Amino acid sequence: MDDDPSIVAVITDILRAEGHEVVSAENGQEALAKVNGEALVLLDMRMPVLDGWGFAKSFRASGRRSPIVVMTAAENARRWAEEIGADGYLAKPFEIDALIAAVERHATRPH
Amino acid sequence: MTALELVSHLTELIYVLIFLLVVWGALRRRTRTSVDIALFFGAIAIFIVESQIVTLFGLQQVELVNDVVTILVIAMPYLLLRLVDDFSTVPSIASRLGEVGLVFSAIAFLASEGTPPAPIAQVVVLYFAALATYCAVKFIRAARRSSGVTRRRLEAIAGGTLLLGLTILVAGLAPLIPPAAGALEGAVQLLALGSAIAYIVGFAPPGILRRAWQEPELRAFLRRAASLPRLPDTPSIVRALQDGAGSTLGARATIGLYDRETNKLRFQDPHGVLPNEIGPSDYLIWRAFERQQAEYYPDAARANPTLASLYRALGVRSLLIAPISAADERLGALEAYTDHQPVFSEDDLDLVRLLADQAAVILESRNLMDDAARVQAHEEAARLKEDFISAAAHDLKTPLTTLVAQAQFLERRAVNEPSAPADLTGIRRIVFEARRLSALVVELLDASRLEQGKLVGEREPVDLVELARDVARRESYRDRRITLSADRPVVGMYDRRRIAQVVENLVENAVKYSPEESEIRVAITDQSGQALLDVTDQGIGIPAADLPQIFERFHRAANVDDRRFAGMGLGLFICKGIVEQHGGRIWVESRVGTGSTFHVVLPLGGAA
Repeated sequence: MDDDPSIVAVITDILRAEGHEVVSAENGQEALAKVNGEALVLLDMRMPVLDGWGFAKSFRASGRRSPIVVMTAAENARRWAEEIGADGYLAKPFEIDALIAAVERHATRPH
Repeated sequence: MTALELVSHLTELIYVLIFLLVVWGALRRRTRTSVDIALFFGAIAIFIVESQIVTLFGLQQVELVNDVVTILVIAMPYLLLRLVDDFSTVPSIASRLGEVGLVFSAIAFLASEGTPPAPIAQVVVLYFAALATYCAVKFIRAARRSSGVTRRRLEAIAGGTLLLGLTILVAGLAPLIPPAAGALEGAVQLLALGSAIAYIVGFAPPGILRRAWQEPELRAFLRRAASLPRLPDTPSIVRALQDGAGSTLGARATIGLYDRETNKLRFQDPHGVLPNEIGPSDYLIWRAFERQQAEYYPDAARANPTLASLYRALGVRSLLIAPISAADERLGALEAYTDHQPVFSEDDLDLVRLLADQAAVILESRNLMDDAARVQAHEEAARLKEDFISAAAHDLKTPLTTLVAQAQFLERRAVNEPSAPADLTGIRRIVFEARRLSALVVELLDASRLEQGKLVGEREPVDLVELARDVARRESYRDRRITLSADRPVVGMYDRRRIAQVVENLVENAVKYSPEESEIRVAITDQSGQALLDVTDQGIGIPAADLPQIFERFHRAANVDDRRFAGMGLGLFICKGIVEQHGGRIWVESRVGTGSTFHVVLPLGGAA
């Protein structure tokens, strides 16, 4: 999820081309309603309505266990990822290979 | 030796001691006052010493010596009158009467070989007593006008003089009441001792007494001084110090602050004696400041003849000056003007020195506070700059993320499937993000141009109503309710691109900080040669604490969660610059939770 529609669109295109299924959302609240048992959550931190911190808290509180990879343009990407207990992070702007590798590495394998 | 004899000897001892002390004082600092004091006690001391020598060695009284001593004793009250004249004006009639009395009693005593007939002796005694009382009253009046040590000393002197007068009166009247002669003799000895003690306290007070007397004044000054460094600016501190020093000294005071860059003392002299600034010159205050030494000028007009007429016009007689310095740091100088010569210049100079030292502490702590504030402001500016750079970097990275990912994705497709049709959506996305990136770069450049005053360019007739309508109809606002109220075109001479930027920015902010379903109102009117533009939203509002800084560079209100609303905090800063460079004004009214209204006033002529 990301509040920037262009970023959502291009990531969706890339991951679909890699053969993944993608559900997108513009903010944390929308994502909480949509996400259910996904293999991986790509999470932007600065979003209106419900931001990355709020999403992560509610998401974990609801018992959902999908791995989370933080995407942020802020300098402290790594610290923020640690703060919310994310599994990994992508510092914007990221290479397309880095995106694909992060998804491959952290996504839970379908059983 | 009887008790009365002991008292008598003690009294004599004290008077001789006072004489030695005042002679020492007069030798160190020869002023009219110190010489008159020495003369007065000299008369008493010589009389005492002479009669002691005669008694001790059983000498025959030499007539000439006897006459001289008699005249000295007779002159005593007159010398007292002279002393009074030194620090308080004695009307000439009183002086003449004193002189007449002096001559009359001298003739009476010399003609009668020291024992004038009873009625004449009584007249002389009454003259002595009256003169002493008159002087005592004068001393009390002078004490009232003074403060601190001087006041206490004058009070003691007044008391001593009164006791001396009583001594003479009782001694002179004793022979008239033979049955009480013994008791009166005792009273005379005790009164004389009393006057001696009062005089030594007044004329040669020990240091411990001086310090104790100085304390209340100093304490009062310090109580006032404690809050001085917190006054809004240095000039108000200087004014307060001047007032405080003036009332402590019972004189007028002025402070010159040293400006190291120009090598000048700067004044805000409320008494108009000194110019606004003084560089190296013959001014007495500059001399004292340069020597870093407290100075006393009993006669200001004589010490600096160039200012003599000014001093006279302003009633300045004496000057007391002390440098204000903290360690090696020269801060300035304190000057006190008095309309009469200080009675005890040493004490007053001491007090001026003490006050100057206190002023130094206060001014220095103010300087330190200013330094601390400067460092803080500097750090704050550095922090803002850092915040700005990271905010700018964040904003630039957002479009860059799409650009990099999309371009690499297209590249990969082109390599893997060379025959596939062009991904038009992807290409358009690149174009869109590149434009966005370029707009951000422009915003950064605008802010830097604004700082150089080069933001507003050529002007042309612009209809604000039409311009606002174009903004409100933008595709990106199609889900928002933006109402425009205007009766007729409002045309002014503006830089079209820049004024459009202001309207866009205000509408964009209204959209950004208010709920989607709420209404945004744009109103444009013209009134007496001015265009008025209001943009009102029903959004989150701006906290009162942030209102004064909302148009400052990089400032973002406390209730703007920067994780939710990414932005550079430059928009309103640029808007304000554009409006002001058009000769207009921009301000905001806002309440948290209710919304904000931004008001812009622009002259229609558009001339700054």
